[in-house]
Formats: sequence, structure tokens, C-alpha cells
Amino acid sequence: MNTQIKNAMEKTLELAKKYGADQADVIVSAGESFSVSAQKGDIDKYKVSGARVLGIRSLKDERVGLSYTEAIDDDSLEIAVKKSLENAEASEKRPHEKIVVENSEGIRKSEFKPDETSIDDKIKFALSLEEDVRKKESRVSSVPYNGLSEASSESYYMNSLNTFNYESEYYVSCYTSALIQDAANNSMHYASSIARSIKELDKDYCIDESLEHALQWLEAKSLPTKAYDVVFEVNAFASLFGCFGGIFSGKGAMDKVNPFADRLGQKIMSEEIVLWDRPNYEKAFFQSYFDSEGFEQKDLCLIENGELKTFYHNTATANYLKAQSNARAARGAKSALGVSGTTKVFNPGKAAQADLTSGEYLEVLSMQGLHSGADSYSGEFSFAASGYLCRDGKRIKPVKGVTVSGNFYQMMRDVKIVGDQVHTTHHNDFFAPSLRFEAMSVGGE
Amino acid sequence: MLNQAIAQEVIFEALESGADFCDIFVERSQIEDLSFNSSVVKNVRSGVDFGIGVRLIFGERAVYGYTNSMVKEDLISLTQRLAAQFKTSKGRDLKTLNFSGKNVKEIASIGDRAVPITEKINHLKTLDLKIRGQSEFINQVNLTYMQRTQEIEVFDSEGLHMQDTRPYVRLGVRSYAKDGDQQATGSWNPGARGGYEFFQGLNFDEISDYVAKQAVTIMRAKSCPAGKMPVVIDNGFGGVIFHEACGHPLETTSVEKKASVFWDKKGEMIAHENLSAVDDGTIDNLWGSLTLDDEGMPTQKTQLIKNGRLENFLSDRLGEIKTGHPRTGSARRESYKYAPASRMRNTYIEAGPHSLEELLTSMGDGLYAKSMGGGSVNPGTGEFNFSVQEGYLVKNGKITEPVKGATLIGRGEEIMKNISMVGSNLEYAAGMCGSVSGGVPVTVGQPAVKVDEILVGGKA
Repeated sequence: MNTQIKNAMEKTLELAKKYGADQADVIVSAGESFSVSAQKGDIDKYKVSGARVLGIRSLKDERVGLSYTEAIDDDSLEIAVKKSLENAEASEKRPHEKIVVENSEGIRKSEFKPDETSIDDKIKFALSLEEDVRKKESRVSSVPYNGLSEASSESYYMNSLNTFNYESEYYVSCYTSALIQDAANNSMHYASSIARSIKELDKDYCIDESLEHALQWLEAKSLPTKAYDVVFEVNAFASLFGCFGGIFSGKGAMDKVNPFADRLGQKIMSEEIVLWDRPNYEKAFFQSYFDSEGFEQKDLCLIENGELKTFYHNTATANYLKAQSNARAARGAKSALGVSGTTKVFNPGKAAQADLTSGEYLEVLSMQGLHSGADSYSGEFSFAASGYLCRDGKRIKPVKGVTVSGNFYQMMRDVKIVGDQVHTTHHNDFFAPSLRFEAMSVGGE
Repeated sequence: MLNQAIAQEVIFEALESGADFCDIFVERSQIEDLSFNSSVVKNVRSGVDFGIGVRLIFGERAVYGYTNSMVKEDLISLTQRLAAQFKTSKGRDLKTLNFSGKNVKEIASIGDRAVPITEKINHLKTLDLKIRGQSEFINQVNLTYMQRTQEIEVFDSEGLHMQDTRPYVRLGVRSYAKDGDQQATGSWNPGARGGYEFFQGLNFDEISDYVAKQAVTIMRAKSCPAGKMPVVIDNGFGGVIFHEACGHPLETTSVEKKASVFWDKKGEMIAHENLSAVDDGTIDNLWGSLTLDDEGMPTQKTQLIKNGRLENFLSDRLGEIKTGHPRTGSARRESYKYAPASRMRNTYIEAGPHSLEELLTSMGDGLYAKSMGGGSVNPGTGEFNFSVQEGYLVKNGKITEPVKGATLIGRGEEIMKNISMVGSNLEYAAGMCGSVSGGVPVTVGQPAVKVDEILVGGKA
């Protein structure tokens, strides 16, 4: 923990009080990172960085103003505080937004210490990652994305009601890719690994995964346009689910942009779906203990047997919607108060693997265009996809150049089969059984 | 912003370690934004970003770091850390560096602090009312207003010292239509390299009509049929297709790794002979325009494709070192937290001779993509995807009914050859482009174009 930062936060709160704020809170994000990428047997890019930002939220006469600064000298803090109060004056009254957590302190220092591997060895790691991809397959024409990175971060929260929270994190990651060219065809796949130390990074997985799919998809073809049953591999399903995560937003409900705002207590998914938001889940890579208003976070059931049980709430959304805050406030040093979830964990279903994978279906491993091809309000989506046509659990044909389209909300109501095994993403941040969706629209030849 | 003597010492430190080149990027950005929802101001936010990035180049290796401090000792320490692994015996011991350059003339604009915030809020209230008044089915409106002034300063070991001030302004408009279980959104996000005067000059009647109609039209639309078909993509944001399918693969960032389907195609026909395209950073006030790029080089207009032939790549200093393609004033970055990379500015297909009607008539049956959403590309394989925000089926050359949920996918080198007709109605649209050096403001543009065949994702 950095004393200079803590002192600057205290100073900011003193200034807020001095200039007339009724309440205030301060968030500081600070971090250091290192990254190296390797290309063609040499270092391509090498980056060392360290930065911090302090954000203040001032409340005065039921109005809220925000400002931030990357400098934490006294003058900069004073300017930031004054600006936040000016901004509050220009805002409409927001009586639901209050600072409520008082006289509390929570400190969660990362148990993981920065890796002491020398810089030379880190560079060697990145170089060998590329070399091993090339060694394993002669048709690799390029390894365009390949490297190692390391990051440590600190999050500080302090408010005018004598609450202070601190969390720190440390992790390393590596990534590689194989671009394979063979006559007129080319194909590329990317894989990454995340861990707490360099020796724990799964280098072999990155190499094998990137090569396996790049090779398979080199010969892949499109499919005839028609309806197929579809099973999304867990990483693909996590990405798809993430596009529509706004349905759990209490802020979206308050702002009337959440299409499920008036569906609390109703069935919105298949009866077989049970979904939790678990901030401290022991199997997850990242754990979270405090939200951005200083509340301690606990598990939350979002969907129980298909029924929408709750939204993510901060104090403002909870007060507005006459609910209890469930400690899902999210605010960065530069952003306004919002909400967000943590690790998603689905309960397993009942179907054995043989039932889940019987007959013909398309297994989707990779999707492109998720940032633009999904409408979170209507639920409509259409993405480019790659994967495998499967029969009775066996991959029989690699597939690329197809589109998978549908309505996510309808799809989750009509889930055909829920598998009895829970799978997790490469980064252990999403846990779900395989779901089989019936007769989805696949566009191709 | 940064004392020249300190800049000189940092550069000397880098050169003494054996670096072939060193540059320093200093940035101070003031940001103000407003968000408006449910007909009231939700948030007013302001802030200052400040930081310094130091880059050392050893041969083809780029080493980069940044800090929030402008204290000499901190900058020297950062430079020493960056150089530590790459020190060579060929270090140069310089005594003086005569910086030369200029403070680029500031663009005339109304800065964020020159106008009372209440005036901006009143404009947003007016727009909110206009949108809601367009249709009984509009049940929510989200508006955002952003103004940013980015001051930059670049020093380098060749003696360059340049300063620039870049004003940006952008309005975000999203309408929500709902009727029972049917729901959809409409959007328009105009932006400019300028100030408040751009916001004042916007036609709120046109914007409100457009976003309300779009949301209600999409809400009522049936699903788009899937399959290969001809598509006419209308002007403006339709240019995202060229941006993704061809623009990214022409950046030396991809070319230097051979992670571009076009890396060895200079001088070859890569597009239909009717297609010419440019990337132009010099157009007054456009959202992606620059005076200087982020290496301090004056920006320029770069002809990318002329009558189907690949003429130039977009290159920065490292791109030139690695590929030999000369710099084009295209080095860009989101902020001091990123090393510069070759990036697009205002990229567009040049106007052709045809009217939109001629394109639709010649297509016969197919899809008319009136408005595009975003998209992405894998430069290594050329595989792209774009979402169609507002689309219509066309029968016998006539627009018939609206459709939703369409996506266009394919490979860059194929679609460039399948654009067989180019319209005359060139227009530009503002967007944000994310890539290796972060998110930067870019303009996409095109007149309406006809693609002879492309895979349309939709309902099977």
C-alpha cells in the first residue's frame, strides 16, 4: 500500500469538506506493468509502465459531480475537488445516490508476490514461445501475436464516512498465435494463459491450442445455409453471454434501457438454468471482496430455475427501485457510479454427455464481431463463426465462414439440453455446463 | 509542457545506452462529458490526463515506457530501466541537441470551458424532446456529449520538437423503441475535430427524425434471410467495410509481421478496377484529421488504391524501419500510455459515377444496407464481419421491406474485387477504432457501393 496515495485521498476528502461537499468518496487505481513481444526470433516490443489516477465523487444538495486527475500534488487535488463541485452544481438532483458505508476498513493484499524471474529470462520465455510454435509446424508463416506480460494493480477506496478499502492483484500472462499459409488458404488461431507466476503459465497449451485449430481450419469449409443444433464451447458461450449481461443491470433498469426491467420474478430462461454471481468463488482466477461504494461482496443468485431473481444494485439503483443494495457498485476513478457483476457460475444440468452430443450439431469455438453484431436491447445477434460439425460427440468436419444468428433471450428460454458437467474458461472467470440450442440459423453456402 | 533541457537529458541518456533513436511524447488532455438519460442530466464529469511516454529504438526493437511524472530524475530512471536490457557498446556521447520545430497553429474552436455547461444541457434537453416527439413508441433516449482538448508535444533524437493542440467534440445519440415484446434501438454519433461550434451546427431535426425512425423501423422488421446475395451498402458509415476489410491490412503494423493478406501486393490489382481509396489526415475538422501525427510528422493524404491497384501502405517510423515503406504521417496512439503505431485517419472510397438508384436497379434482388454497425477483421487471414444496423430487402431493383439481424462476412481480398459499382454520394462518418495502440478517432467514408456477392448472416 502506498502511503503517498493514501495521504492524497485523505487530503482530497478534506478539501471536499472545505469547499462545501456534503459527502465525498475517492477512488484511486494504480498499477505497474511489463510486457515483451517477440517476432522472428527477436524482441519486437518491450514496454514498462506505471501510472495512477484519482477520481472524486462529490455530493452536495443531492447533486453529484465527478472529476479525476492523474497528478496528485496539492494543486491538482484542489482543482479536481473544485471541478467536481462545479459539475455537481450543473447536475440534476439525484436523491437516491448517497454514500452510506461508514466506519469500515477492509484490506485484501494479494497473496501473490511479483515473480522474481529476471528480465532476461522473461525475454527468453517470449522468444521460446515463438520458436516452439514454428518448430512444431513448418507451415507456420508468421506468429503475429506472441509475448509475455506481467501486471500488478492496486485499488483504493475512501469516503467521508471514515471507510477505507484496499485490494491488490498480481498476475502474469502469455499468448501466442499461429498463422498458417498453404497455397491459397490461410488460417490463424490465438491462445493465451494466465497465472500467478511464470512457471505456472501453460506454454504448451498456448502452442498446441493455437496450432491445432489453425491447422484444422486451414482446410475448413462453410456449411449449407440451414438450421442446425448448436453447442457453444464454454469460452465462446462466455463471450456470447457477455454481450447480453446488461439484463442483470439495476442501473439499466433504472435508466429504462434494460429490456427485462419489469420482469423481476418472472421466468426469462429455461427452467433448468440456475445462475450465480460469485465474487469470492474459490475456483475463479480473480476474486473480488469490496464493491466501489465500500460494501463487502457476497454471492448472489441471479437466475433460479429460469426466474430472474435480482439485478445488480448499487445504493442509487437499490433506493430508486426500492430494493436492497447487493454490493455490485462499480466505479472506476474516471467513471460514474454504475453496477457490474463478478464471476458467473451456472449450476450443472441433468443431461449426460452422450445425450448432449447425440446426432448432428455445430460446435462453435470462435466468434467474430461480438462488439457490433449483438443488440443487447432486442436480443438479436448475428456473428461470424468457426468450429466443427459434429456427430455423436465426434468432430467430423472443421467449419469456418459461416454466420450464427438468433435472439439470445429466446435462445435462453428454449435451451434444448443442459449438460451435467460444468466447464470453465481458459482464464477461470466463467463456469457453465454445455448448453445445446435447437435449430439455430446458420448462414453459409 | 516539458522543459527542453530535461528532454535533451532523457534523449542523451537513451543515445548513450546505444539506442539508434529516442522520442518523447508529452500529453495533457482535458476532458468534459455529460450524460443525459430519462430527460435529465445523469452525470457531469471532467478530468485531466497527463503523462509522458519515452520510446527507444534499437535496430528493429522498440522499447516503450510511460510515467505521470515530469521530474527529470523520474524520466531518466524510466529511460535507464528501458535501456537496461538493450545497452550496446555503440552508445553516443552527445553534448548538445538543437531542437527545431514549431508550435502548430491551434485550430479555431470553442473550448469546453468557454461555454457554460447549462447551455450544453439545454441543447441536450431540446434534442431529447425532439426525439421523443417523433414517435409514441420511443420510450427512452440516451445522449452523451464529450469534449476533449489534447495538447501534445514531441521531442526526438533527430532534434525535432513539435507541439499541437487537438480539440475533439462528439455527440452520442441512442433512441429506444418498444411496443409490447418488440424492441429495438437507433443511433447516430456525429463527431469532429473541433469544438462547441460543431455541436451548435448540428441539425437536431434531422438527427431526431433519423434515430427515431431507425429504431421503430428495426423494431418492426422481420429477420433477414441468410445466404449469399448481392448487397448495396449506402454511404457514410458503410465505409466501415473498407476500413476493416482493407484499411487494417494496409497498416505496416500488420504488414511488418506478414500478418496481412496484402503485405506483398504493392503495385498489384487487389480491388475491382472501379475502386479507388485514400486515407487522408488533412481534411479540415474531420474527426480523424491531424495536423501532426504522434511522432510529430505533418500528416498527409495517402492514396491507398487507385483503380484497383495497391499504391501505398500506412506507415510510421517503426513500420518504415521494418518494411521500407515510407512514413505517411500515420503514427497514432490513444494516449501516452501507448507506443505509436501506423493507424488510419480518415479512410474512404472515392466517389464514382453512379446514383444510388442505378446501383439498386442493377442489383435486381438483394439486400440494401442503409446503415452499418461496426465490424472487425483478422488482418492475417483477411476474414471480416460487419453488422447491418438498418437493412432492407430489394426486389427487382426496388426497396421493399426492412430486415434486422443481418451480418456481412467474407474475406478482404474477395470483397475488394466484388465491389463492382461505386456511387457518387460520398459521405463521411465518425467512429472509434481499436487496435494495437488503443482507441483513436477515425473517419470512415464512402459513396454507396454495390458488392456483387457476399455472405449475409441472418435467418436460415
